[in-house]
Order: sequence, then structure tokens, then C-alpha cells
Amino acid sequence: MARTSNKNIQVKLVDSFAGFVLVLDVSYSRGFKIWLSVLIDTLLSFCQVLLGDMGTGKTSLVLRFVKGQFFDFQESTIGAAFFTQVLSLNEVTIKFDIWDTAGQERYHSLAPMYYRGAAAAVVVYDITSMDSFERAKKWVQELQRQGNPNLIMFLVANKVDLEEKRKVKNEEGELYAQENGLSFLETSAKSAHNVNELFYEIDFPFKAHGYILLAAKRLAEANPSRQTGMKLHTESHGSGRRGFCCS
Amino acid sequence: MQEMELHDLSDDADYAASMQQGSSSMMRSDSSKRSSSSESEGAELVYLKDNVTIHPTQFASERISGRLKLIKQGSSLFMTWIPYKGQNSNTRLSEKDRNLYTIRAVPFTEVRSIRRHTPAFGWQYIIVVLSSGLAFPPLYFYTGGVREFLATIKQHILLVRSVEDANVFLVNDFDNRLQRTLSSLELPRAVSIASGSSTPVSSGDSPTNVNLERTNGGLGHDSHSLSQFHGRQKQKAQDPARDISIQVLEKFSLVTKFARETTSQLFRENHSNGFGAFEKKFDSQSALDFDHKASNDTETIVNEIPVAPDPVEKISSRKHIHDEEAVTNVGTFELIDCKEFDKLTLVWGKPRQPPLGSEEWTTFLDNEGRVMDSNALRKRIFYGGVDHKLRREVWAFLLGYYAYDSTYAEREYLRCIKKSEYENIKRQWQSISPEQARRFTKFRERKGLIDKDVVRTDRSVTFFDGDDNPNVHLLRDILLTYSFYNFDLGYCQGMSDLLSPILFVMEDESQSFWCFVALMERLGPNFNRDQNGMHSQLFALSKLVELLDNPLHNYFKQNDCLNYFFCFRWVLIQFKREFEYEKTMRLWEVLWTHYLSEHLHLYVCVAILKRYRNKIMGEQMDFDTLLKFINELSGRIDLDAILRDAEALCICAGENGAASIPPGTPPSLPIDNGLLYSQQEDEVL
Repeated sequence: MARTSNKNIQVKLVDSFAGFVLVLDVSYSRGFKIWLSVLIDTLLSFCQVLLGDMGTGKTSLVLRFVKGQFFDFQESTIGAAFFTQVLSLNEVTIKFDIWDTAGQERYHSLAPMYYRGAAAAVVVYDITSMDSFERAKKWVQELQRQGNPNLIMFLVANKVDLEEKRKVKNEEGELYAQENGLSFLETSAKSAHNVNELFYEIDFPFKAHGYILLAAKRLAEANPSRQTGMKLHTESHGSGRRGFCCS
Repeated sequence: MQEMELHDLSDDADYAASMQQGSSSMMRSDSSKRSSSSESEGAELVYLKDNVTIHPTQFASERISGRLKLIKQGSSLFMTWIPYKGQNSNTRLSEKDRNLYTIRAVPFTEVRSIRRHTPAFGWQYIIVVLSSGLAFPPLYFYTGGVREFLATIKQHILLVRSVEDANVFLVNDFDNRLQRTLSSLELPRAVSIASGSSTPVSSGDSPTNVNLERTNGGLGHDSHSLSQFHGRQKQKAQDPARDISIQVLEKFSLVTKFARETTSQLFRENHSNGFGAFEKKFDSQSALDFDHKASNDTETIVNEIPVAPDPVEKISSRKHIHDEEAVTNVGTFELIDCKEFDKLTLVWGKPRQPPLGSEEWTTFLDNEGRVMDSNALRKRIFYGGVDHKLRREVWAFLLGYYAYDSTYAEREYLRCIKKSEYENIKRQWQSISPEQARRFTKFRERKGLIDKDVVRTDRSVTFFDGDDNPNVHLLRDILLTYSFYNFDLGYCQGMSDLLSPILFVMEDESQSFWCFVALMERLGPNFNRDQNGMHSQLFALSKLVELLDNPLHNYFKQNDCLNYFFCFRWVLIQFKREFEYEKTMRLWEVLWTHYLSEHLHLYVCVAILKRYRNKIMGEQMDFDTLLKFINELSGRIDLDAILRDAEALCICAGENGAASIPPGTPPSLPIDNGLLYSQQEDEVL
């Protein structure tokens, strides 16, 4: 963005149909610049939802990511919490919207409200608890069954700082993730191990690729004028997503 | 200041660039596009912006884009916004809608101010407020350029930044500035923004009582016809009340045709729906006041008259305006003006009293220890709470563990029996051997849940802090015992929050257990698997907001927030996470008196929402933002003020409020109750 050369303008495109942020480098003529500003003014957000058994460290992961804090006795989440974090990555500013949910099975019925609109779901288990791993699998199944096909899923094995109490082997998690096409990461909210990686670095290279191609196609089809820009945007917003996130 | 402002704008690179593009290409405007086209010559287009859009609903597909223009004619500047023709592909917005929102040549002499909103993320928008107090819908600048818009205006007319709010730009603000500033500093003075036909309200017992007579400058009159209004402008400019109300309006104007429909519907309903029943419950003084209120309400439901300070009642009124005549002059728009709760508190709840102390407590007891007048006791606690030392004893009454008519001896006996009963239940799980536990998944699960939660419940409170704190173990034992006592319900997240203050107060395992049991008799449904208890409370809450703050209700409706899940935590654990420990205990004992209503907690919800309503609507919070905002209010709510508001709202809602809460809504006792704890008849309202 800082470079004003017409040859290298960075385009950021929100495709909220998939609830995903697209980042593109495209060269366009001067006339197109105005249209770009439409998009640049636009909110770029990436919405994630954290799911998993109670006490697996969902809130701790978010707090570590958003505030850099960690509490040994982080209180339980009642209902749900919503966090945002704004980050600049490679000259692109992205807003992360993160839904943090209550873990207890009892509150399960509320979860769809939160994952319905998400671009990514992070399913967390605690490596010291086999039960939480089993519960994580159930979440994955539910998401596969009900979630949208574009949903990006992560399986996260948290609390690796408690290596001596480990009940779920790294390979088990990794294998399950592989079988189900999930990204897998072992983290520790306490030591901050892999937390930032979880929330952004991984996200983009993996699945964004497909969306970028799609967006490039759309851009090519669209006659780059202001109206077209609007229209593209409007269309993607009005595509009937009903979740709260990224809407 | 003006110079600075200009400087500010010309400094801006965006501004310079945009000046090159759009507005430099001045041209003659097409006069046929203006309906008020008495001026036919000399019109000059000084600004043009495409893709300026309004959002009549929250659905992206129902946006209306158009072209915003500034037109100079002679020394007058006009603004127009004409929607594009045939551009909206969707079916839900008709041609009529587009016409409805079209802004045809508004002279800036009629513009009061422009509020800009330029978030770092998201679209910039402006709200144009007319001198009459009416406001146009927010105009979103999809392609940016609010600065440029303001700069252009500034080139032609006097535009100054408001002293109070850097995002508000005042138009035609000549000599009135000082006066307005002064009046805004005295916000709590009587102002009137209601329709002139309402009855003046008075509150007899206060020297600070304020004259609420409507001035002719009241907003309601003028909005009837803009042409009429025009003639009266001078008069109004001298009315300080007007300035205040306008500031309020500027901030919080909301525009939807939907709201109009809903409101007018309610309006009709309310005529046949008096608020007559107050006399029964309150002393004559209050009854008098409420009658006034009632007559107000029948006119425009939530008619708002921000009224003077403490301890006078404040009745809020709202005037909803829609005038067909306005269409021809300035396009159609409409307005819901809102209560200024940030500054003008709802101050007619009674002042809080000091907590009930030991000496006074003994006056409620006869010589054998019976509470002679439980109603008076509950009333006393409702208004002041209980001294901490007394809580151990008094809470047991409030929760229904002790009967009010029990004697010292009977209570002593009860404690004794209940202690052994508790031990029995506790032994049920204590006697489970590791072998047995291995084959008892449900038990292991429950214990696991409880173990996970007790170690993270109120650990910052001294009573529970530190490693291996025995009180944490007590918390666990009681919860586990409860999950056996009420095996069907089991343990749910949130229960540890409810137990913690009880244990802290009782400092006795068995007593805490039975008090918790009594509390769960009422709050148990909060934790039902089907979320039924929560749903019914959140539903009742939505009804109350609809009754007590219709614009806010409409706002939630438009933003898909009617499920009120952002209040989930408040209701589930009775605001335990919203206040510091001591304040939570104070709130709970007030709620548990069930003095005005069993559902005072719902009025507390309404009171908090109302306090932040302007922020919520002004910032156009969506569900996500709202939930985040509500969660972050934790620790920042003024309990005493909220309790007073809640009391006031509860009284104000009266029977209509009670009717909004379906029978059986928690924390009402279930109808078939009474197995263990005989509740006092008078507790059930």
C-alpha cells in the first residue's frame, strides 16, 4: 500500500460468502485505484470459533493471543465470549473475530449459533485428558456434519507444557487430524507455544489459496469500475449467511 | 477553531486527491431532480459523490445506493441524495422504498448539524440532523470521502466543530454557541422533547422539582410540518431545552420504516391499555405520580421527558415523528429520538439506604425469634441490603431455608437435622470406592467437571485463594453432594459461581449446602439441558424491553439480537461475573427479597441495557460487538444506580411488566413445589 506504483497495488478483498479474507497482489490502472479504496475501507475480518471440552484452555488460548496474558485459574466461560484482535501481516491489516464458547456439554445446544458463521473452527483438547480428545472428535464430526464445506478446521492439542501428564500422544492427534483433513497444532497457552501460529500464520497459506484463485477469476470477469466493485461486494455480503460472525 | 479545521482538511492527502477527482468538475445541476425547484437558475453543483448508501435494514441486499450532491444557488447551499434507478436487484426494496428515502434539495439553513462516523474499519457514514431535530438515515460513504464532503460544505457556509464532540459539525452556529454549551452542561435540567399534548408531570415531594411544561419550542410541534417549523425557528433558537434534545437526537437518531410501523401499532394498543393499577401497591403520593405517567404513556408509549435530578422522578418520553408533508420538501425520513441515559439517569427509584444492621434486625424479631413482619423486612432489605455480619442469618430466611415464622429453637433444631441429612447424602459419593468409580462413568464425569471448575472459581477472593485452600475443597464437596441430591440436574457450569458467595457468607458446609439447595429450587431451571429456563427468562426480558424501551427493542430486532443471548451470563448466574464480590452479595440479597417482583433481575437487565442503549444504538453494535461490549461491562456497572433504575422500571412497567413475564418463569418457584421448603405465601407476588 505504501508503494504507490500502479504496477503493484495490493488488493484486499473480503469474500464474506465464505467468511474469509482474501489477499491479492494485483496490478491495475489508475482508474481502478478508486475501486480498490472501496475494498480497503472495508472491514477485513476473519472469524474463528473455539470449541472443545471444558477446561481444555480455549479462553486461555484466546487471551494469550489477544492480550498476551495467562492465568492459572482462568474462570470458566459462561455462555460465550467474543474477542477481537487486529493484526498487520505483510502490509495487510486483518481483524480477527474470535468466539470463545462454554465447554460443558450442557451448553452444547448454543454452539451452532457461534460456529455457523465462522470461517474457521478451532477444536481444542487437553493433552492430559483422553476424554477431552474424545470430545474433540465429536466436535469435528458435528462440524463435518453440519458446518459449511468451506469451514477451515483446526485440531489443537493444548497444554503441552504439562508434558509429564500427557495422556494423548502427539501422533494420535496428528493422525486423527490427517485422516480428517484438519490442520493440527500442539500449543500451550501457558508458555505461549504455537499460539500466534495457531491464530494466523497457519491460516493463510493453507486454504486461502483456493479463495485467491476464485477471487482472481471474479476480478478478471468484473469490469473494474466503481459500480462493479460495489456490486461484487454487495453480492458477497448478501449471500444469506446467517451466523453472527463476520456478517 | 474554524481555521484549524480547514487546515486540518487541506492537509489531508486523501482530501486533496478527492478534490481533484470529484468536486472540481463542477457543472450545472439538473434542476428537474429537485422537487423544491423554485430556484431555476444559478444552481451550481459543487460536490458529487457516487455510491453513498443507506441501510434501511441490516440485510446487505437491501441497501439503497445513490448519488449525493451539494448544490449552490446564490448564497444557499442544498444537499440532495437521489437513489439510483433500477439498481437494486433484490425484490424486497420497492420503488416506494427508494422514494421514501430520497432526499430532495435540503437547504443548509435547515440543517442543524452533521455527525460523522469514520471508523478505522468499516464504512464511513454521516448523520445529517435538521434544525427540527429530525435526522436522515445514516449515509454510508462506500468510497470514503466524508472529509471532502465536510470540507466542501465549509467552503460555502459556516461549519464548526462541536465543542462537546469532535465528530459533530454544527451548521449555522452563529452566536448561539455559548448558550448551547451552557445548557449542555446543565443537562439534568428540565427539558422537553415530547409532544405538547402530554400532561405535565410533577413530583410533589422535592424542592428540586422541575417544571415540565412543554414549551412551544418542543420538538413534537415543529416536526409536524417543516414549513411551519421554518417560521418558528427564531423562537426555538432561544429555547435551551431544544439544544439539549437536539444533541440527544443527533447522537441517537435511528431511522427505519419498520420502527414506525411497530410503534404506531403499539401506539394504538396502548390507548386501550391503561396503567391504572398503581394505587393498589403504592402510597398515595406515588400513585399520583404514576397516574401522570400513565397518561403520558398512553399517548406515545415511551414518551420521554428527561427530568431533573435526584430524587425526582424522571419520566422519559419519546416522540415518534413521521410526516408526509415533509416528503415534498426534504424527502421522507423519520426519527426515533432516544433517551439520554448516559447523562440523565433514571433517578426516580428511591435512594438506597444503609444496610440493615444488627440493632435494627432485632426489632423485626419477636422474643422467640420469629420475624413479625416479613413484608416489612423484605422491603427494608430491598432498599438497603444487609450488613455483612448479619448475612449468615438473614440469607437463610431470604432463600427460604428458614421460615419467617420459625423460632430460634426451631431453627436450631432444623440446622441440626439438616446437618445429619447433609452428611448422609455426602456419604453416598464419599463411599464410592476407586473400583466402583471405574465402573461409574457418570460419577467420574461429574467429579471431573466439578474438580475443574472449583479450582477456578473466585480464586482471587482471599477466602478461596492459595494452594490447597480448604474452602475450595468445601466448594467441591458441596457441589458433588448437590449433584447427588439432585442427580437429574447434576452439575453445571455456573453453579460454582452461585455457591461461592453462599459458602463465603455461611462458613458452614451443611448450612451452605441447604441454602444452595433453596436457591437452586428457584434457579435450577437455568441449568436445564434444554435451556428452557434460560429461554423463558430471555424471552421475558425481550418483552420487557419491548415495553420499556421500544426503540431499543426495534434496534435489537433489526440486528437479529432478539434472542438476548448477550444477557445469558447476567441471567444464568445472577450477575455474579458483573460485579465485585461484595456488590454481588448486595445485589443478590436485594433480588432474593422478591419485594417488588420475583423477576427484578430482569428489570436489572433492562436498566443496564437502557443505561447503555445510546451507545449500543449509536455505535450500531451488531450481535458480536454487543456481546463483547456486554461482557466487558463487567466490573464497571454502578450497582446502586442500576438498582434504582430497576426499581423505577419495575414500578413503571407495573402490571404490563408482570404480564410480560409468563407464569413459571424462573426464579418463580415451580407450581408443584413445596416438598422440602415451605415458601411463605407472601413471597409469591
